[in-house]
Amino acid sequence: MTHEVAASSQPFVMDTAFWTATAIFLLAYAAIISEKIHKTIIAIFGAGLILVFKILQQHEAFHIEEFGIDWNVIFLLISMMVIINLMRPTGVFEYIAIKSAKWGKGEPFRIMAIFAVVTAVLSAFLDNVTTVLLITPVTLLIADALEVDPIPYLISCALASNIGGTATLIGDPPNIMIASKAQLDFMAFIYHLAPIVVVIMVFYLFVIKFIWGKKLSTREDLKQRIMAMDEREAIKDPAMLKKSLFVLAVVLTGFVFHGMLHFQPATVALFGAGLLLLLSKTHEPHHILAEVEWPTIFFFMGLFIIVGGVVKVGLIKWMSMQILELTQGNMFATSMVVMWFSAFASAIVDNIPYVATMNPLIVDMARQLWPNLSGTQLLQHPDLMPLWWSLALGACLGGNGSAIGASANVIVVGMSEKAGRKISFMKFMAYGMPIMIMTVIISTIYVWLRYYVLKV
Amino acid sequence: MKAKDLMIPLREYLRPENTLKEAVNILRTAKRGEEKVGVKGLSVLDEKGKLVGMLSMRDILRAVFPFYLSMMDLGDFTWDGMVESIARKSSNRKVGEVMSKVVISVDEGASLMECVDHMIKHNIKRLPVVDKSGKTVGMIYERDVFFEITKAMLDENSGGAK
Repeated sequence: MTHEVAASSQPFVMDTAFWTATAIFLLAYAAIISEKIHKTIIAIFGAGLILVFKILQQHEAFHIEEFGIDWNVIFLLISMMVIINLMRPTGVFEYIAIKSAKWGKGEPFRIMAIFAVVTAVLSAFLDNVTTVLLITPVTLLIADALEVDPIPYLISCALASNIGGTATLIGDPPNIMIASKAQLDFMAFIYHLAPIVVVIMVFYLFVIKFIWGKKLSTREDLKQRIMAMDEREAIKDPAMLKKSLFVLAVVLTGFVFHGMLHFQPATVALFGAGLLLLLSKTHEPHHILAEVEWPTIFFFMGLFIIVGGVVKVGLIKWMSMQILELTQGNMFATSMVVMWFSAFASAIVDNIPYVATMNPLIVDMARQLWPNLSGTQLLQHPDLMPLWWSLALGACLGGNGSAIGASANVIVVGMSEKAGRKISFMKFMAYGMPIMIMTVIISTIYVWLRYYVLKV
Repeated sequence: MKAKDLMIPLREYLRPENTLKEAVNILRTAKRGEEKVGVKGLSVLDEKGKLVGMLSMRDILRAVFPFYLSMMDLGDFTWDGMVESIARKSSNRKVGEVMSKVVISVDEGASLMECVDHMIKHNIKRLPVVDKSGKTVGMIYERDVFFEITKAMLDENSGGAK
């Protein structure tokens, strides 16, 4: 902790290091947006540059929380991926999806609505990419069975996954990063974000009913194809399924109580991953570990170092001063700027680098507002909390704004194209952008009402 | 024994722009050797006679197999008539989009073991033979290689040092 205080109280100067770090940061952002080079390569190379130019010492990048890699985020992600990778072969996700389709009784819109809810709930507990990878194949199968256009199903799933992911600490990478930075626990997200996500979901279901409800129809004999499916056939490994559900219950219980018990979320997840690996009795952990999405993990690690570089040279501090100047220290105005800017920024840029940048910015803002405070007193100052929630809501919901706004959207668009049904950038936006704006308006009212009027 | 001694000279072939409907018809009527009719795979040549792909039974199976089934275990939840209905819809797709584009070929002078090497490592049953100018001149079949091995095992003739 002494490192943090000492480093951040340094007045910053716009020297060579400042401009070098700023240039690396801006070029990395530009390269990520251009999508000419894979984003993971950019992040790793950018991190290499930050170290080679001695913006950060290697020790700072690897071991100092403020400037370097946030291992809490990294291990939480890896552990959750390991748990899901072990669960997948049991067939539980196929079971859930087929069961949902049967609840839908073969009615096209009913199935769409149920899939949206299931996707949102799964996304709240798994990462969004995993969820859409599990839901879309079944969606395509169901659309083929009913001989209906799969595109509305795919788009509605992607949007629902970004909405659902907003609800919990582990639902979407921005929340994982925010939780780690602000030392917020799982239940804080449940209290502050889950209620509004439920409200947003209800509105969302009405909207998709309005958009697609009347357009989807099928024949009676085709509905029988769905009703004839036996979801029990999906379960391939009942013994492993029991173990997985047990570990999942342990992990979720751990998340509920981690704040009380003073465990970090990554500790809970890592314990769960270790336990399930042990119970699985696998002799080939390399298969399970190889399936971890290492490119995503390295993308995070590289970004943390790049952002750490611009934090150290003071760019982030400078940016936070600009925002405070703009809003003149009015916290409601600042929250709104953060939420709406985050929403539109996340529609264009990957929300992971965006939140990686905004996190230290908000901390810097807090330091300017309350220079005498530190630790959780500073990070969780009552006046600062609405800012974290606004950032989470804006960054997560903003992903719906465009086809590239969230990884879930990119995957769904890719799968649709593979199935011979291209979703153009504009087509996605025609649905995504208005829905994003609607959800952010609802969030705006929520933040205003809850934190500035009712103050609960 | 060299590749050119074992290969069946190429008579029939496909073009990338053939439809699958045309292709399966050619596969069905193509002559294999002197008397047999019907083959399970053919090479795909462009207008210059250059080998650009292979179309085999497996590729056609893959053409009616929705990619999403390979992503999850959903085979239990398919229905009667699904294959036939996709096959009908796919009949106008082009050979060029369905064929295996990575083509392993050998030249006429390749040894029999080189042919076996390719067949095992790349899990293929037929191996096109190209001449020096890059033109495809014939095809080596797994079955014919197997017959050579049979002959050697039964010591009918010593084919190795020819």
